[in-house]
Amino acid sequence: MCSVNGAVPTTIIVAGLALAAYALLMTALNRRMGLGLLVALGVLEILLLVLVGLVVARLAGGGRPASMPTLIGYLIATPFIPLAAGFWGAIERSRWGPAVIGVAGLVAAVLMVRLHEIWPVIHV
Amino acid sequence: MSEPETPSASATAAPEQEQPQSTRTGPGRLLVAVYALFALSASARAVVQIATKFGHAPVAYLLSAFAAVVYVIATVTLTAGSPAARRIAVASCSVEFAGVVAVGTWSRLAPATFPDATVWSGYGSGYGYVPLVLPVFGLLWLRYWARRDRAPRPVAPAGAAGDSD
Repeated sequence: MCSVNGAVPTTIIVAGLALAAYALLMTALNRRMGLGLLVALGVLEILLLVLVGLVVARLAGGGRPASMPTLIGYLIATPFIPLAAGFWGAIERSRWGPAVIGVAGLVAAVLMVRLHEIWPVIHV
Repeated sequence: MSEPETPSASATAAPEQEQPQSTRTGPGRLLVAVYALFALSASARAVVQIATKFGHAPVAYLLSAFAAVVYVIATVTLTAGSPAARRIAVASCSVEFAGVVAVGTWSRLAPATFPDATVWSGYGSGYGYVPLVLPVFGLLWLRYWARRDRAPRPVAPAGAAGDSD
């Protein structure tokens, strides 16, 4: 039984939590969103797209989760998280921009746990 | 807080005493973001549950759908931010808080009613207790706006500042 490589979800959890810590530090320091947070969001976006690719490949290989609509919903919604957070972080010119990005980092980490619950072949 | 020392730091430093311009900016941006997240995920989850396995846990799924509607209303009214929208937002945040407490208690006392979890089961424990904390911050944020409305405006005479309702 081959499964979705655990390295990618684990990396996303670590990256998401690191992004959250960095963003909330920026909020605490009363900074606006800067280039650093934008780059970090970009890295998270790439990791999430790689994960979606791996899960889609697993589906194409014939695997099926217990609840297909739920998994499809998660796969569609996941890549929009860094995009939405980046957009909101950029238009909010105060410390609360990075706070929104921090939430996105936490959500990305939580999503990996939820994906594992939805379809246990996605290892964390 | 001291002045930023380098030009690059001052480029990203936010003004210290700038007041948010609406209920959806400043701290409201964070609040609306989290509300939108819950509105989206609760709605999607309720639709999937009701469409695919309604008979399995009808009470839980109807409560999920009700919670989803409350989150959608709170998200929309917090985004709109007009005095009328803020009154609806106060009502929906209050219903939300009462719902979390009631369903949380109900799910503890009669777990058999909930074969499957709702957003509000166990006081929102499945969602890191965010459902319990979120309405409190929502109501605090709305109270800030209600007080700001009542506060005398800098240029207006003292008698002209009371709000009309």
